[in-house]
Amino acid sequence: MKVSEMREIGLKKLTSILILLLMAVVAPLVLPEAFVYLLGLALLFLILVISWDVIVGYTGQVNLGHTVFVGLGAYTAALLQVPSRFSGTIDFLASLPSPPPVVSILAGGIVAAIFGLIIGVITLRLKGYYFALVTAILPLVFMQTVFVFSSIFGGEEGFSIGLERSLAASTTLRYYYALVILIVSFIIIRFILNSEIGLRFRAVRDDEELAEAIGIDVVRYKVLSFVISSFFAGIGGAAIVHYRITVSPDLYDIPLMLLIILAAVIGGLGTLYGPLFGGLIIYLLKNWWLKGVVMTLPEWLPINDEVILYIILIAIAVLAPEGIWDKVKNILETASLRTSKSS
Amino acid sequence: MIDLAIRILIYGAVVSGIWALVASGFTLIFGVARILNFAHGTFFVLAAYLGIVMVSSGVNPYLATLLSIVLVGFFAVAIYALLLSRIREHEVMVIIATLALALLVEQVLLLIFGEHGISYPSLITGVLRLGGTPITLKRIAAFVIAIIVIVLLELFINRTRLGKMISAASQNFEGAMLVGLDVEKLFRVTMFISAVLAGIGGILYTQIFAATPIAAVKSLIFAFAIVILGGLGSVRGSIIAAFIVGYILTITINLFGARWSEFVALLFIIGILIVKPTGLFGVEE
Repeated sequence: MKVSEMREIGLKKLTSILILLLMAVVAPLVLPEAFVYLLGLALLFLILVISWDVIVGYTGQVNLGHTVFVGLGAYTAALLQVPSRFSGTIDFLASLPSPPPVVSILAGGIVAAIFGLIIGVITLRLKGYYFALVTAILPLVFMQTVFVFSSIFGGEEGFSIGLERSLAASTTLRYYYALVILIVSFIIIRFILNSEIGLRFRAVRDDEELAEAIGIDVVRYKVLSFVISSFFAGIGGAAIVHYRITVSPDLYDIPLMLLIILAAVIGGLGTLYGPLFGGLIIYLLKNWWLKGVVMTLPEWLPINDEVILYIILIAIAVLAPEGIWDKVKNILETASLRTSKSS
Repeated sequence: MIDLAIRILIYGAVVSGIWALVASGFTLIFGVARILNFAHGTFFVLAAYLGIVMVSSGVNPYLATLLSIVLVGFFAVAIYALLLSRIREHEVMVIIATLALALLVEQVLLLIFGEHGISYPSLITGVLRLGGTPITLKRIAAFVIAIIVIVLLELFINRTRLGKMISAASQNFEGAMLVGLDVEKLFRVTMFISAVLAGIGGILYTQIFAATPIAAVKSLIFAFAIVILGGLGSVRGSIIAAFIVGYILTITINLFGARWSEFVALLFIIGILIVKPTGLFGVEE
């Protein structure tokens, strides 16, 4: 590729990013409020997806317990905002003052990262299969804490942190905060992945033995990647709580995990931009469009929005196991190859 | 006190026997085809619900039980042929697709049957008194059946030609192909056996406890704990590990309550992973 071509592509990329940003900024001014609210939630969901891509797509470790860190971040933030939930169990915590949202969101990330470090150190020494098995169990166990200590965590229902502690009173403003949190997270993650560290993550993913041979401490980089991934999952979870002002065990649960997987797989693992689009499409598909479709189906059919999503996921796994993104890219490349040959 | 001890001894044996069936099926298909089947618990609940539906529509309970176990076996073969055989090379996709399948079936079952438990119709009734402790006969039958099936499985793998072929494929996949074994056929057979084991486990379990849609995912947790302790791919390891995990769970449930069982399972797994990461009898990858 010539330098001028590369510059051209860089320019193309820059303009498309700018157009997307412009669309994201203008969106709440033209769209109905209910949709803006949903779009904001979708933006925060994207943080969960791109942070999952860090450990799975870029480092090659199949983490099925990402929602553990989403939930940890969420409950950390919620409890910091409503410390009175501790009264009767851990009384000295109950009288703590509630911090501003920025602090509790960061705290959510930090708590998630600490758990990520502990879990990562134990599990990432193992071969891939064991890591997948153990992480798959984690959400169920952490979810159980919510029920066992329901006086603190609120059990099945969860609890509300109150509108006055949300990101902002108006939906539009909340949407913009969500956008800012996403952009900041994305820039930091992109920066890490494009740095020397990100290069090592990919070396570990592509060939562990080779990476070891050239002097990369494989386990250390896997753990580092896991901690970074967990941190942003925690940020995402905490931000979601401040956005929708409620916390409940659905943030730990497996359906959310599957939604994250679906988004990343549709977008293409290890591409960072792909999961961004995949996430937006899947989230809106599930929460806006599919709910409507399901309503039109006859009552007796045992189908809901989740069933349709799982069918899509299985279909994608079978038809394009290397990811839709790669498939599309391959088709485009062969197409452009053909046109350049014929011209 | 003696009452509690007897209860733990017997209940533990029953639960261990059932989990041994489920876990050995899970580890068998992994050992042979390197398929990490997250939908294994689906066979567990599906057999139970199939049986319940058949019995309630008038089929003889024994026939219904047999039919539902065989049907689940064929369902698993179909899943393998249509889905897993195409993506077997993509390990991540196998996990994702089977997990999606498990949740798909769970949702469909929830929509049809609701979230409340349904008991499997009793095949055996009656109560046995052991020094004042009443033990239902179906628990004892469940244990006996589980042990018989495990012994049959061992005999099948070690004594029959087909079983030896399966064992060969699990030890050395390429070697098995080289000596001309039809590996795809072996995988289908293994998938069938694996699902049948889960199905029997599911029916025995729901005889005593109840069938709920979420049991598919919950049963996976315990199967994972057992398989991690026994070593992925080792059937014998899973059977031994099932009794260790089964008793630990029974003791936990009887002394502290059922809600702690997941915690204990997890703590247990973490403990094993720290001390012996490849389990008791793990196969080399």
